[in-house]
Amino acid sequence: MVGDTRRGNKLLGFLEDRFALSTLLHLAEKKKVPIHRHSVWYYMGGIAAIYLAVQVVTGILLMVYYVPEIQSAHASILKINSQIDFGWFIRSLHSWGANLMIAVVVLHLFSTYFMKAYRSPREFTWLSGLLLLVLCMAFGFTGYLLPWDDVSFFATKIGLDVAAKTPVLGGIIADLLRGGEAISQATISRFFVIHVAVLPICLLGLLGGHLLFVQMHGMSEPDAFKNLPSAKKTYEKFFPNFFFKDILVWILALNVLFVLVMLCPWGIGPEADPFGAAPIGIKPEWYFLSMFQFLKLVPPMIGPIEGELFGILLMGIAALAFAVLPLLDQGKSNSMSKLATAYGVIIAIAAIALSVWGALS
Amino acid sequence: MNYPIWVVPYLGGPWVIGIISIVHIFLSHFAVGGGAFLALAEQIAYKRKNENLYNYLKGHSRFFLIITTVSGAVTGVGIWFSISLVSPDGTASLIQSFTLAWALEYLFFVAELATAFVYYYTWDRVSKETHLLLARLYMVFSIMTLVIINGIITFMLTPGKWIESHNWLDGFLNPTYFPGLIIRMLIMAAIAGMYALVTSSRIPDPHFRTYMVRFCAKWLIPIFLLGPIVSFWYLNQIPQAAVQTIFTGIQTSGLGNFSILARALYLSMVLSGTIILFAFFGPYLNPRGFTFRIAILFMICGLSVTGTTEWMRELLRKPYVVYNYMYSNGIRKTEVPDITSAGFLNKGKWASALANTPECKADPGEVIYRYQCMSCHTVDGYRSMKRMIGDRDEESVVGFLNMLKEKDPEKNPYHGIMPPLAANDTELKSLAHYLAGLNGKADGSAPKISHSAQSVH
Repeated sequence: MVGDTRRGNKLLGFLEDRFALSTLLHLAEKKKVPIHRHSVWYYMGGIAAIYLAVQVVTGILLMVYYVPEIQSAHASILKINSQIDFGWFIRSLHSWGANLMIAVVVLHLFSTYFMKAYRSPREFTWLSGLLLLVLCMAFGFTGYLLPWDDVSFFATKIGLDVAAKTPVLGGIIADLLRGGEAISQATISRFFVIHVAVLPICLLGLLGGHLLFVQMHGMSEPDAFKNLPSAKKTYEKFFPNFFFKDILVWILALNVLFVLVMLCPWGIGPEADPFGAAPIGIKPEWYFLSMFQFLKLVPPMIGPIEGELFGILLMGIAALAFAVLPLLDQGKSNSMSKLATAYGVIIAIAAIALSVWGALS
Repeated sequence: MNYPIWVVPYLGGPWVIGIISIVHIFLSHFAVGGGAFLALAEQIAYKRKNENLYNYLKGHSRFFLIITTVSGAVTGVGIWFSISLVSPDGTASLIQSFTLAWALEYLFFVAELATAFVYYYTWDRVSKETHLLLARLYMVFSIMTLVIINGIITFMLTPGKWIESHNWLDGFLNPTYFPGLIIRMLIMAAIAGMYALVTSSRIPDPHFRTYMVRFCAKWLIPIFLLGPIVSFWYLNQIPQAAVQTIFTGIQTSGLGNFSILARALYLSMVLSGTIILFAFFGPYLNPRGFTFRIAILFMICGLSVTGTTEWMRELLRKPYVVYNYMYSNGIRKTEVPDITSAGFLNKGKWASALANTPECKADPGEVIYRYQCMSCHTVDGYRSMKRMIGDRDEESVVGFLNMLKEKDPEKNPYHGIMPPLAANDTELKSLAHYLAGLNGKADGSAPKISHSAQSVH
């Protein structure tokens, strides 16, 4: 291939001299992807990346017309939806894309969890992935308020009130985000800046690190594959074989997004009235629904501790367990490995059940 | 209005037809395209003495036989059941207009089925020449079923000269007959290739798998090259009003206020683009990596394009079941003035019996809803009447229904989208009373309807 680039094409030769394409190609060809019955989960990261690319492009386009000002925010979204050519399309791509991205990142997290990809030497790949999920949810939370419709306003209000209950820093963070006692112009300005500047910078850094770790350590292999004799292990080259299949999956992922946008364009509710009553049965976005439902189930007081605070602490511990998992399950103890799997199954089932319950109640 | 009608709650009868029909299209197109695939592939195997290909075709033909004869036949009969229950007047009209064509269709279908079984059960039992002849016979019979049914399907959108002459051949060889036939043949070849890609992706030998994946993918080339040209020809033949609906949909899509037809068009175009990209990055660039899962996804995309395009064709025909002749609720266009003056419940045989026989005690408003609205709406499911009526009281429903009787598009924005309401004033009020009552907004008791006794029986 190296020789081909020089002999076959002058342009490739020119690029080779300046950018050392053959070195990059060699790196890509060196990377191998294991082939086994769970290989399908290797595509999740790529799908999340393509949805992220959609978010970046559509987000930039939306910024051209969106006005982060309390009197104009809702009107500017209305204008995007009904007066700007294909504005509805870009906004629907952004909104549906955000939901799909979070869904795929959650799937990616659980698939790597159950394939034990958090074990040494991939602890930092795992941790950076966890943080990336938190960032995605933060993107969702901050972006949700920006249209300034009644549902987004009250959902954000409830979200910030709950966050304020978190011990030590909760109140400070909630005040910082709100910019005062109540949701106001200060809140919308802060959410906008966080959404379009702070979070993207953090995301770039973390994503860069995450991809670097993936490149350094290669694709993780599940135990069943790792324990096979060498002769029975099969691999395919990342480039071009897996890469071409990755492209097919990206095309399909974009199709799913396009179908949703075409058949169910994203709408907007009535403008938020901070002095009005909250809409009946208001609920947060689906990715916060399990936590919301869990807090609803906790009694008002548990002993001397306030119920909501207890619930937040419990969820914090559950999340922390995911973060410290690489330290606990290093693949040396079979019982610890099974315990980790059982914990993941319980959390996944609980999250799904609570979300469905929350959606139906 | 002359037959009993089937009430399908929530989903609505048309969706029952739609779901069965779409599945049947996937299978029947495979039955025709797959027949050509088997015949041509067997000819290649015979000429090149390619035993690998022979063995592959034996396995593929089992898959083909099960899919087409079992599922295809079941869904085919399912279409007849569902259309005769949901749209009996439309079905009766098609049977009466094309009796000979239906008889021929049935004849070729039986021949097709019989040949398929003989073809499958004679692998290695008759000479290769005879077996190839059977494959070719099957191909001819299956193509003949398409040649006939295409005349009836295209007639429904473009009845052409039949509207004046009522000569079945004028309706059969209608303006979209030939472009429709060619498009369907191209789709069938593509679907045959995609189904065969699924079975080819399971071939263990990587060299033969690569050969077969490339061979099957070539069946998509005709539609890539000719599809746009024939589609343009087809669009040139459809009614101007339908073309205008497409253009209006495209023009308004920038502001998001666009029709479901335009959405279907965009979906169809994007999914078609996906197929091209898929074929390029899959079978062309990476045939060895074309796995079973990818083949299944590829086929889902291909079938989605087919389904979306068929949906679009159905949308183009709205609000008619036979364009410019019979509305989707089974009322002929020419009958509307007469029904409006004499009263719907004095014209329709079954509807009037329902409303007028003392033992029935049916609410006349509900009877009119079932016969005139239920071909597109449900009470509280798909296109829910409860949701559409919303907060309107009986008086405003009367106003809305009066608007639906208007023939001037300036006064009736639903003209050309919905059939006109065919009812006299008292019937209109009783329908309004029933519809407003769905959300508890009806005033007092239902208006009394007087009937002419002689037309009831």
